Amino acid sequence: MGSFQKYYRQSATYKICLGLLEGLEKSLSTFGDIVINGFGVIKCLFKGEISWKEFIEQCNRFGITSLPITLSIVGMTSVIVASQVALEMVKQGGGNFVGLLLTMLIVREVGVIMSGFAIISMIGSSLASEIATMRVTEQIDAIEVLKVSPIKYLFVPRVMAGLVMMPPVVAVASVVGVLAGAVTSNLASGLSYRAFFDSMWLGVYMKDLGVCMLKAATFGAVIALISCSCGYAASGGAKGVGEATTKAVVWSFVAIVILDMIFAIAFFF
Amino acid sequence: MSIEVKHLVKTFDDRKVIDDVSFKVEDGETLAIVGFSGSGKSTILKLICGLLTKDSGEIITSDGDIAMVFQYSALFDSLNVADNIAFALRERKELRNKYTEKEIRRIVSEKLELVGLKGIERKFPSELSGGMQKRVSFARAIVTEPNTILYDEPTAGLDPISSTLIEDYIVRLKEETHAASIVVTHQMSTITRTANRVIMLYNGKVVFEGTPEEMLKQDNEYTRQFVTASLEGPMQMLAEN
Repeated sequence: MGSFQKYYRQSATYKICLGLLEGLEKSLSTFGDIVINGFGVIKCLFKGEISWKEFIEQCNRFGITSLPITLSIVGMTSVIVASQVALEMVKQGGGNFVGLLLTMLIVREVGVIMSGFAIISMIGSSLASEIATMRVTEQIDAIEVLKVSPIKYLFVPRVMAGLVMMPPVVAVASVVGVLAGAVTSNLASGLSYRAFFDSMWLGVYMKDLGVCMLKAATFGAVIALISCSCGYAASGGAKGVGEATTKAVVWSFVAIVILDMIFAIAFFF
Repeated sequence: MSIEVKHLVKTFDDRKVIDDVSFKVEDGETLAIVGFSGSGKSTILKLICGLLTKDSGEIITSDGDIAMVFQYSALFDSLNVADNIAFALRERKELRNKYTEKEIRRIVSEKLELVGLKGIERKFPSELSGGMQKRVSFARAIVTEPNTILYDEPTAGLDPISSTLIEDYIVRLKEETHAASIVVTHQMSTITRTANRVIMLYNGKVVFEGTPEEMLKQDNEYTRQFVTASLEGPMQMLAEN
């Protein structure tokens, strides 16, 4: 029996299963940290504990710093879609629906999800690495020894900034996306701007705009919460900072795709 | 009595890093904790200030703040010197309500003057030398008027002159604040110039307790090996050290 156990423990199957279980354990632990920190943020908000100076700085980071990359990504995505779809639709007699299609696509999906991806790669990664560096250089220990809550000082302003600033960023990016789509459709298929903008409102309702803003706020808060949590749990040195940043980006990507699916089922199914 | 530690035990991964350690530090007294790297010195500080939780034993401290000066200063690199020092005054509710912004600026200036760095309020930590960063971290630690100050290797990585300066400030802060202080260090000059008493740790246990003078007499085989920096003696470096 002993030799069987020894043989089994050296087998590839055992090692793969062990690796999977360890991965699952780590994932559950990360998820637990995110949930606990999320409750911590809500508790601080109910108690009115927020560092306003830090909040304004983080709003600038989320809103202003991220704007060029977000606008570029949403705008270019719109150009890519319009350049492939507009001519074909005009050829098939559906030119009157190009504006509707692109606007619906941008308002419901592209604007918010591509902005989310841009925010994750630019802001989420920087939040995670910043907080992870603070962790490994004992700055977070110093905050705790000074009897200041790291949740209040680090998490609340960042999560709030994500919640508040992501909707305007998505709104501006969506406008830029629609305009880029109109220009591209005109250049690619000769579709008039009037035809594009007339069809824009045929199938886009206030509900779509409301869901878009709600989704943006949720994504902003979730990206900030995941990034802060991954950075906060970092350990070791430079390697730990790198791992925390990677984890933050991967978890944020997965989280917003899952959330997007939930929103789609809840509001449009 | 300002700090009393009784039968403290802390284990990491089945290894007892702190094993039944007890000591007392009175107000206005400085205790030096010495020992090998990895002997649990910094762990004791982290247990006292609440960054780690103990497995068993007691840590009794008098009411009031516990301040800690970290080995690598741990200044907030996104804040300038003034904001670093004023951090607790601005972020802790009870202190924020107690002081106006004008008073906070005055306190920051006073604390900087106390550590000999007047006029550097607007500089960022990255613009300061290691010794200056350490002194700013002293100023940040004492801004809340603590009755206990913990120093984690305050002179590590500094040149001998900067070390002497830091040691002078440790003595000066003790005289100004009358706080109970614990200094974790390897450096003999820091022990002899700042401490009233010394305890030595090996394998998580206290193997010597006495004054710096008694330590230098080398009556104890552990302190003899430490003072002479000899490889021969009862203390053997563990592989993971």
